[in-house]
Amino acid sequence: MPKRFMSIWFRHLTTDWLTLKQPELKDVPFVFAIKDHGRMLITATNRVAEVHGVKAGMVAADAKAIIVGLQVIDEQPGRAAKLLNALGEWCIRYTPIIAIDLPDGLMLDVSGCTHLWGGEREYLKTIVLKLRSKGYDARAAMADSIGAAWAIARFGRVSPIVESYGQATALLPLPPVALRLEPVITERLQKLGLRTIGSFIRMPRSVLRRRFGEHLLLRLNQALGNEDEPMQLLQPVEPYQERLPCMEPINTATGIEIAIRRLLESICKRLQQDGKGLRTGVLKCYRVDGKVEQVQIGTNRASHHLEHLFKLFELKIATIEPALGIELFVLDAPKVEDADPVQERLWGEVGGLDDTGVAELLDRIAGKINTNVIHRYLPDEHYWPERSVRKAATIMEKPTTTWRISRPRPTQLLARPEPVKVTSLVPDYPPMLFIYQDKVHHIKKADGPERIEREWWLENGERRDYYHVEDTDGKRYWIFRLGAYVAGETNQWFIHGFFA
Amino acid sequence: MSMEYTELQVTSNFSFLRGGSHPAELVEVAVKLGYTAIALTDRNSVAGVVRAHQAAKDAGIRFIPACRLDLIDGPSLLAYPTDITAWGRLCALLTKGNLRAEKGKCELYKNDVFEHAEGIKFIVIPPDELNTWFDFDDAFKQDLKEYQIALGSDLYIAATRSYHGDDAKRFYRLSQLRIPMVATNDVHYHEPERRELQDVVTCVREKCTINNAGFRLHTNAERHLKPIEEMERLFQQYPDALAHSREIAEACQFSLDTLKYLEPEWVSPDGRTADEHLASHTWAGAKKMFDDGEFEKVREQIQFELDFFKRRKLAPYFLRIYEYTQKAEELGILHQGRGSAANCAVCFCLGITPVNPAKSNLLFSRFMSDSREEWPDVDVDFEHERREEIIQWIYETYGREHAAIVATVTQERHKGAIRDVGKVMGISVDTINRLSGAIRDFSEDDFDRECIVSQGLNPDDPLLKKVLQLTEELMGFPRQLGQHTGGFVITQCKLSDLCPVMNARMENRTQLEWNKDDLEDLGILKVDVLALGMLTCIRKAFDLVKQHYGEELTLANVPQDDPAVYEMICHADTLGVFQIESRAQMSMLPRLKPREFYDLVIEVAIVRPGPIQGDMVHPYLRRRDGIDKVEYPSEELKKILKRTLGVPLFQEQAMEIAMVAANFTAAEADQLRRSMATFKAKGLVSNFRDKLVAGMMGKGYTEDFAKRIFKQLEGFGSYGFPESHATSFAHLVYISSWLKWYYPDVFAAALLNSQPMGFYQPAQIVIDAERHGVVVRPADVNHSMWDNTLEEKDGKYCAVRLGFRQVNGLRKDDMQALIAGRETGYTSISQLSNAGVPQAAIEKLSDADAFRSLKLDRREALWEVPALNDKPIGLFAGQPSESAMEAQATLPLMTQAEHVVQDYAATGLSLKAHPVSFVREKLNLLNVDTTSRLVQLKDGGLVKVAGLVTVRQRPGTAKGILFITIEDETGFANLVAFETVFDKYRKEILQSRLLMVEGKLQVEGEVIHVIAHRFFNLSTLLRGLTAAQNEDMPVLTLSRTDETTSAVTSAKEVFHKGRNFK
Repeated sequence: MPKRFMSIWFRHLTTDWLTLKQPELKDVPFVFAIKDHGRMLITATNRVAEVHGVKAGMVAADAKAIIVGLQVIDEQPGRAAKLLNALGEWCIRYTPIIAIDLPDGLMLDVSGCTHLWGGEREYLKTIVLKLRSKGYDARAAMADSIGAAWAIARFGRVSPIVESYGQATALLPLPPVALRLEPVITERLQKLGLRTIGSFIRMPRSVLRRRFGEHLLLRLNQALGNEDEPMQLLQPVEPYQERLPCMEPINTATGIEIAIRRLLESICKRLQQDGKGLRTGVLKCYRVDGKVEQVQIGTNRASHHLEHLFKLFELKIATIEPALGIELFVLDAPKVEDADPVQERLWGEVGGLDDTGVAELLDRIAGKINTNVIHRYLPDEHYWPERSVRKAATIMEKPTTTWRISRPRPTQLLARPEPVKVTSLVPDYPPMLFIYQDKVHHIKKADGPERIEREWWLENGERRDYYHVEDTDGKRYWIFRLGAYVAGETNQWFIHGFFA
Repeated sequence: MSMEYTELQVTSNFSFLRGGSHPAELVEVAVKLGYTAIALTDRNSVAGVVRAHQAAKDAGIRFIPACRLDLIDGPSLLAYPTDITAWGRLCALLTKGNLRAEKGKCELYKNDVFEHAEGIKFIVIPPDELNTWFDFDDAFKQDLKEYQIALGSDLYIAATRSYHGDDAKRFYRLSQLRIPMVATNDVHYHEPERRELQDVVTCVREKCTINNAGFRLHTNAERHLKPIEEMERLFQQYPDALAHSREIAEACQFSLDTLKYLEPEWVSPDGRTADEHLASHTWAGAKKMFDDGEFEKVREQIQFELDFFKRRKLAPYFLRIYEYTQKAEELGILHQGRGSAANCAVCFCLGITPVNPAKSNLLFSRFMSDSREEWPDVDVDFEHERREEIIQWIYETYGREHAAIVATVTQERHKGAIRDVGKVMGISVDTINRLSGAIRDFSEDDFDRECIVSQGLNPDDPLLKKVLQLTEELMGFPRQLGQHTGGFVITQCKLSDLCPVMNARMENRTQLEWNKDDLEDLGILKVDVLALGMLTCIRKAFDLVKQHYGEELTLANVPQDDPAVYEMICHADTLGVFQIESRAQMSMLPRLKPREFYDLVIEVAIVRPGPIQGDMVHPYLRRRDGIDKVEYPSEELKKILKRTLGVPLFQEQAMEIAMVAANFTAAEADQLRRSMATFKAKGLVSNFRDKLVAGMMGKGYTEDFAKRIFKQLEGFGSYGFPESHATSFAHLVYISSWLKWYYPDVFAAALLNSQPMGFYQPAQIVIDAERHGVVVRPADVNHSMWDNTLEEKDGKYCAVRLGFRQVNGLRKDDMQALIAGRETGYTSISQLSNAGVPQAAIEKLSDADAFRSLKLDRREALWEVPALNDKPIGLFAGQPSESAMEAQATLPLMTQAEHVVQDYAATGLSLKAHPVSFVREKLNLLNVDTTSRLVQLKDGGLVKVAGLVTVRQRPGTAKGILFITIEDETGFANLVAFETVFDKYRKEILQSRLLMVEGKLQVEGEVIHVIAHRFFNLSTLLRGLTAAQNEDMPVLTLSRTDETTSAVTSAKEVFHKGRNFK
């Protein structure tokens, strides 16, 4: 009994996907295009555009001339592969052996699967109709060989199912491109008037080899099923999830602790093997009464350190309400990241942010109080003082620029500049004194001004002239005058920071 | 006491992507602020100085041309030449830096500066920031010492209030350096508001967006020109710094105006003056060119011109042109002069132009006169394939130190500017595309609200508004220096005494930093060495005539005024002829009916955007046909307009009208023309309009007429066509027509050998030749050369043998090997391979069906080609190859139609049949007429024709109207589609290879148009030409009915898509 293969062809893979995401595009002609030598080259079209004669390979400008209002959307390389991956995973319910067939298809080894769906015809119909109802314009064909299934799916006109051993006959009327040949070869066949596979399939092999090369023979043999073709199988990813059903409902803290520890043990082991670490962990506790209790932890850097993760959960145990008891624990790690395997070895020897100990300490503090209390700041490339620092998103984030030291900046910057009263002499001169919170500061020394303009692309407003001043107590302040000095008018002054 | 201040550190937008203002804007503000002088210091370049100089001159302040020298091994220096020799040294210094680097870069070292330092004042630029000890780094101090030793008391140091918070400290440190401080503002823009644009160009330069530009931008907007009182306040503590700025300004009394006096003297070989030389060459030429009767007629004219040139010291200029046209003569390169001065009698005598002034009644004074301070303009066209020889000869003869190409300043145009600004402002590529889509192709108008709305964008969105505002400011900014198409400056002094020389993008070319307007402003003369494809074609035709008909032709001896030639032109039988071959020209010919040379001059000039936009064409035709009376708006204009029946058609006429009727000075009229060419000077144009219209109405002309004149001027500005050029072009029109009439075989071969050129595809040239009785033979391995050749007479004319150059994808050297190995002729394909022709080339030859003389059709040949691979080698060499033994495979026979399709694929034409002839039967069923039948049909009748699309054209001058030409086996048909029809049948029109049209016939004398009502795409008929594919296959059960199988190369794709409008 030969093997059976099914090829699925998605005729508008990427455009169908976008239509699914944005249903308003359904009746709008649109294409994906990519930049190529300064032109936009169309890589995929949707049905509507195709009906108007727009094809992949055309230049977007030409296509636009044909269809007024044609939408040209930037192609993201690799999207097709991603989509096929997802579609392939979905197909795993029909057969475990699936390969991605770039750029627009899937290849399924369906040997021994079809009878479960009531025969080949039903099997094929089910899949194709399901895919079509999802919104994908799919065609499929089944044959003994990968090559034949591929060819019939795309070029076949008789029946999508080629009977066993029937591929040779089925291939005869198809054009040579159906054999997946290089363009040079198909072109040469075309010029010689060999327009169907049938017109040359019976020629002596030596003649064909001499004129069209080994590749044609290989493809021919593969299609005929005389030569095996390897499949790059799709490996589905298993989610990081562990389940712990309990024989008897658990309703004590100790019980929960043990459960968490068990779950963590197995999940940490898997993470470690894969070189991953947990960033978010979710524990779901299914109660006997049907309710679900849930707690969540987060880490500042990816970790598969069991003790640490356990400590984080430990802080949350008190919030779990077991009521009559919990019969099932499920631990999920929805967010994982690559974890540096080195960190285990260098345990406790590195300082600063690279020290996992610091990160773990922060995790625990955050677990106790609140995540929004601890901030980390990084320098940002802005002259405007309020924007010259920004909050870091993670503990691992590297600064994109260095802290600038060439111009004096206060150690404490007020979140919002506070107005002060001043007595000053002339423009471009620092004031003689300023009053801040009812206290008069007589200025002894001053430097400046440093004139900083607004970032015009972000906001409108007046510039600031900053002075760095020292009062009679030897304390130093950062004050500024808002706006340009105009004779006869008084400017508003502000204090913005304190130097050490 | 009020101090004087001179701004000495000014960066304009000629420091590309650094400065934020035009030189003229900077000067304008300097004037407003009461400056008496201003300098310009662009980076390693003086490309902008002439514009600043001109602006300063107009405003009456002094301009100091200078430069900022960015050095590889030291702090930057500002350099101010004090006199003309110092200027020469500065230019020489920049030249040195330019020539050792690739185009657009300048590599300079300290020592270069020291070598050229004499007479130049320098200001050294200190680093932006002090170090942690609040001092300058030792390295900088070390460099300063070196500078001090080398430059002595000519060295100053720049002090700039940059408001970085440490100005006081910096100034204190600067004062400690014991080098005189000079106050500067490091100006980058003329007013603080330009900071935004300057930030944008910084981002373009740094390839970042405004949001991530960070510290690459400036902290504040202080780098603008400031009032003198403000400068005094800022430098209260250092008044010397201001005084020094004046000191430098006073020392630099050099003005660019003095450069004019460097204009070369012609070095005489024998002590006679240039004028004497010019006179003797001219008179000698005159003796040769004119017979005695004519000579008497022109003697006075020649003497008048010679006297004029003497007064204007122009003899060296004409002698120079004479020199290189003589050289071209010597090398056998065809050339022809044109331009305002080229049509004079002297130029004719010198052989610069072949247009006989005695016949063409062109009055010299019409182009040049004492009253006009205009510079002569002589452009000489050469064969495009051989112009480089002349250019290199000029470089060699005069030396690279004395000859260089003029620059052209590439400006930011709408689309480029919107792209740059949009990218920087972080708007999406999609939006940018839509915005630039909102700009009309043919205009450089302002952004049109409606257009923006129609693209689905909101013009009131603040970000978009900002983008549009910045785009408009950026438009017209210089972006880079390119080389002029052929303008040369040749000087006797070193060029680098005038202007820095730099490497051009093309190998072996050097160019100046100034463009033609700059040079004109300074009164430096340029000569134009241009390339013209038609001259190549004519030369090739002359060669063929000589070879096959034994006649020696030159541009001058082709018989003039031949009625037969004019008859042909009147019938618009001018495919391939110079200038009058376009659709628009062809439809004008039967209406204009040219009968003499001057008619051709008008024909060349009339079908141009200028006269069309000015709506001058129809009035002219009506007057010519006697429908309207010839009348003149006034007596004074009669003189100007008489020769064109009262309708202004030429650029000169429009200018003269401005002068005579609106009292423009010659300089103003010229300025007007120039300002039209540069769209940026918007304000200026409307000033001119008001002045012109008011001036003309003041003198009693109607407003309507005045506005029409202005409109025409506007058209001329961008697509100007002066009479002097038209005259020279008309001469080539006549010669190419003459060749086409008497030697259609020669003309076709020469035209094919000069491709790409003109409007037509090789297929149309061949078909046209066949229609004129020329036998055209296919390319063949045993008969063809690389070029198309003529063979023995076949009928009235020689047969044209297509050359290998007509076959797609063949390389010249491969074919040379083929020709070299041909000996007595090839008898088998393997002989070609033995001769060293690569297999790929043999395959291409078989595609082109070039093995017929071996009794092989393309398919049989192609079957053989891959087998060439297993040529027995080593021990088995010489043995028959294995493939010789294999049983003959039977290949499907090719139908004639299939052959034609393949011919088109390989060579773009077929001699076997016209593709449409194969579908004629089917077309007959559809009641489609042949194009040749159209002449027999009546005006207004409904017709159906079909053919291959050869041209689709949407001229900017005919709003929304599309012109299409289709071709079938009997001829051409010209279709006109109005906008509504085009919108409706857009798909058919753009996609069809075989287009059928249904419409109304419009017959106007010999001009026949089909006004299209409906279009149909019949391309599928062509697909039937190749053996039907997959036709015996029923439909897959699960598939939808409307689906198509993936495309195999089908017949319809090999036909030329047709020339498209852009």
